[in-house]
Amino acid sequence: MAGAAHPEAMAPLKKGATRTAPPQTPASWWGAPRVRTYLLFGATGIVYLLAGGVVWHLAWALGKGPDAWATALRGLSNPLYILFHLVTLVSLIFVGVRAFGTMMPKMQPRGGPLPVLAPGVVKAVIFGAWAAITCLLATILAGGIF
Amino acid sequence: MRVEITRFDPDKDEVPKTQEYEIPVQADWKVLDAINYIKDEVDSSISHRWSCRMAVCGSCGMMVNGEPKLTCKTPLSAYSDSIKIEPLANFPIVRDLVVDIDGFMDKFRRVKPWIVRAKERAEDMEALNEKGTYSQSPAELVVFKQFSMCINCLLCYSACPVVANEPEFMGPAAIALGHRYNLDSRDQGDRERNRIFRGAGTVFSCSFANECSEVCPKNVDPAAAVNQAKLGAVIDWAKGLVLPRGGA
Repeated sequence: MAGAAHPEAMAPLKKGATRTAPPQTPASWWGAPRVRTYLLFGATGIVYLLAGGVVWHLAWALGKGPDAWATALRGLSNPLYILFHLVTLVSLIFVGVRAFGTMMPKMQPRGGPLPVLAPGVVKAVIFGAWAAITCLLATILAGGIF
Repeated sequence: MRVEITRFDPDKDEVPKTQEYEIPVQADWKVLDAINYIKDEVDSSISHRWSCRMAVCGSCGMMVNGEPKLTCKTPLSAYSDSIKIEPLANFPIVRDLVVDIDGFMDKFRRVKPWIVRAKERAEDMEALNEKGTYSQSPAELVVFKQFSMCINCLLCYSACPVVANEPEFMGPAAIALGHRYNLDSRDQGDRERNRIFRGAGTVFSCSFANECSEVCPKNVDPAAAVNQAKLGAVIDWAKGLVLPRGGA
């Protein structure tokens, strides 16, 4: 296996008399496609951190004055910024699909007053609501409402 | 077929090493049959655990080509000319393919994996006996049956990246079995278990890799149990805040 797990992984509270070898983990544990998906899921946190930086920069420019705000807005039209926003959008959709599509159907409470729905129904409800809210926000931002 | 097996003798070896064997195999063999052949015909010094040979006892879990597998259920024909068999990942190695599962037993006890009842009065017991003590309908059984199918093979612990890196983590099987009792209509210990589930190293340490459910040989879906337990622990906490006597 070669890779080392945490030396205390699954260690008993009271050590036995027999000497044991430290726990190992497969060196290629990250190689399976489904594990890579999980790692990518976690790595999107970096994208959100950077996106948060952009928001802080815009807030700072807004407070600084009209010239700084106009400069910041011009900066947003830079192709690199547009590319970054596309990456952020793809990351958000990927995380939403994995979290809502995989975790939510499993997470339904059992034994309560509500029936347990089929995974397909849960996904349809969640993704339907997601699409409806996205359309509503897009319409508001485009000036269609208010 | 070439079979590579991890060898470790605590009296002689500092670290585990690999030993290779060339053996004849039959088309219908499982991986466990190959290990048993080596033990019986080639090298009797190999140590491994097994018992029922029909995916019920959960004792023959090992890493096969880097994946946690129940070796009595895994056909040898699924692999090409060579195969690598190692002890379960993330567990201290006692000898060869045998791992120390005491760490799991310690975590398992914490979730109180038994039916907890409030202290019963004599007249309540009479009423219970009249309608059949702790009777349970098929519908009530269905609620938790999936989670009661766990055979404690510990493949989920070997697959979980959180177990590998966070020794405190209670792990998938222990949480799934604790949740199984929380869902049991005869049980009254859910508040105790939810308090445990809200503690450090329990349900909220799970980052939903979902690997436990991928490798589970009995389709228990421990990831579902862990995430339902998260919701249950939060609802229980909220009830404690807003309802008189915590909603009890």
